[in-house]
Amino acid sequence: MKINTTINGKKHCLDVKANAMLVDVLRAAGFKSVKFGCGEGMCGCCAVMINGKPRNSCITLAGLAEGAEILTVEGMGNPENPHALQQAFAESGSTQCGYCNPGSLIAAKALLDSNPNPTADDVKDALDGNLCRCTGYVKRIDAVLTAAKAVKKTSKTVRGKK
Amino acid sequence: MLKKLTRFYYPETIEDACKYLGSKDEKTAVIAGGTSEALRQDNSIEALVDISRVKELNHIRVDSSSIRIGAATPVQNIYKSTDLKGPAGELLKTVAGKIGSTLLRNSITAGGNLAAVFPWSDLLPAWLVLDAEVVLRKGKPKRTVPVENLLNEKPAKFMAPDEIIAEIIVPTAGKGTGTSFCKFAKTANDYSMITVAALISIKGDSIVKARLALNAVTIAPVRCHEAEKMLEGKKPTAQLFAEVATAVAEKTEVRKDFRASKEYKREVLEVLVRRSLEEACVRAGK
Ligand SMILES: Cc1cc2nc3c(=O)[nH]c(=O)nc-3n(C[C@H](O)[C@H](O)[C@H](O)COP(=O)(O)OP(=O)(O)OC[C@H]3O[C@@H](n4cnc5c(N)ncnc54)[C@H](O)[C@@H]3O)c2cc1C
Repeated sequence: MKINTTINGKKHCLDVKANAMLVDVLRAAGFKSVKFGCGEGMCGCCAVMINGKPRNSCITLAGLAEGAEILTVEGMGNPENPHALQQAFAESGSTQCGYCNPGSLIAAKALLDSNPNPTADDVKDALDGNLCRCTGYVKRIDAVLTAAKAVKKTSKTVRGKK
Repeated sequence: MLKKLTRFYYPETIEDACKYLGSKDEKTAVIAGGTSEALRQDNSIEALVDISRVKELNHIRVDSSSIRIGAATPVQNIYKSTDLKGPAGELLKTVAGKIGSTLLRNSITAGGNLAAVFPWSDLLPAWLVLDAEVVLRKGKPKRTVPVENLLNEKPAKFMAPDEIIAEIIVPTAGKGTGTSFCKFAKTANDYSMITVAALISIKGDSIVKARLALNAVTIAPVRCHEAEKMLEGKKPTAQLFAEVATAVAEKTEVRKDFRASKEYKREVLEVLVRRSLEEACVRAGK
């Protein structure tokens, strides 16, 4: 079966098994930031944005992504040009083993997209599906709040330049 | 899992969706959020009908007498809704927010949650205490039935193979009514061990309407009709609520699972029923 999706802004036509999960399809297509964790929707490692909403790709059949826009961490930024969230995660030490980071970053980006001024409680609520078993949660919450400020600053200067 | 699956259909209307269902030539099933369908051990299904793009199934509409929620509405939209207000709306928001996590709530739909009927399906006791009705569509023809009837007979049996849940309708409740929901689980996003929903309407100094429903602690969601009868017509007192809670805990057939013993759950159930009734009563007075 073929599915047509837009991944990180680029169109892809992927040949998939009808019962394949999106996580496996994305990884096979080279998007290795997407991690396989529990495989049952409990840990959030596999989170990707589907049409702007973060969801667990391990319990999402690839067929459901037909025509959808998908965002993975590769589409957020890279080491040369990181997203404010990636920068804040790195600088705050929110990353030890790093396995949960891609999913957490996607959930955090979804939060900032809909709410540029989150409180710590908003961050906890938005990242409630992303388990972290080594770093813990305090640094990650701080990182999202720091990034929110940075995003606002850059969008202000961009607007100022216009 | 889903080993025979070969294709997906992407209907845009309810009528189109129903056309793909109930066919003799091809075994099909509805998929909405896909959170339970994806993991199904069923190896006979050949095609899935993705109803998540049917626009007429995705809405939250509120008017003076009712709340209408489209079956394919993700429960996250219920949780974050700014239109849902009052005792009924607030209850739905609270319950939706207690389902799984953000990532799951963006997938799980109101209709999928109702059709799949698991003990841990948190919205089910809420629909029961709100006297919710469900609109079932079989192409154009539709029927509207109480959610309680659908649940008592199990949706898979109650509905025809080419019938789908289209909408859930909840009458809004006005002043004098209070609602409450308690979820007891090992962690904030683990599956529920006990859920209790309550609704109490007070006029003058007596309870004119009482609703109480449970899930998770039981095998399937139940409405506690006897407890409701014990409450209606009486003065709302702490003693009455304690008596009702004891009676409910004694009579309920507690489900066994690995998380906790039946005895333990029965004790917690009594506390939660009492608390829910007290809380609903306080809110009814506001
Ligand atoms: C890790 C995890 C944790 C969870 N935690 C909770 C929780 O805390 N509380 C809670 O309430 N739920 C929870 N759930 C969700 C619950 O277990 C079900 O998976 C979910 O409610 C199903 O909804 P869905 O939209 O994903 O349905 P799907 O998986 O798409 O479908 C489920 C079933 O319903 C049928 N169906 C779907 N929509 C319709 C319709 N409109 N008409 C007729 N039939 C239909 C399908 O054919 C299928 O048989 C959790 C799920 C997971 C995976």
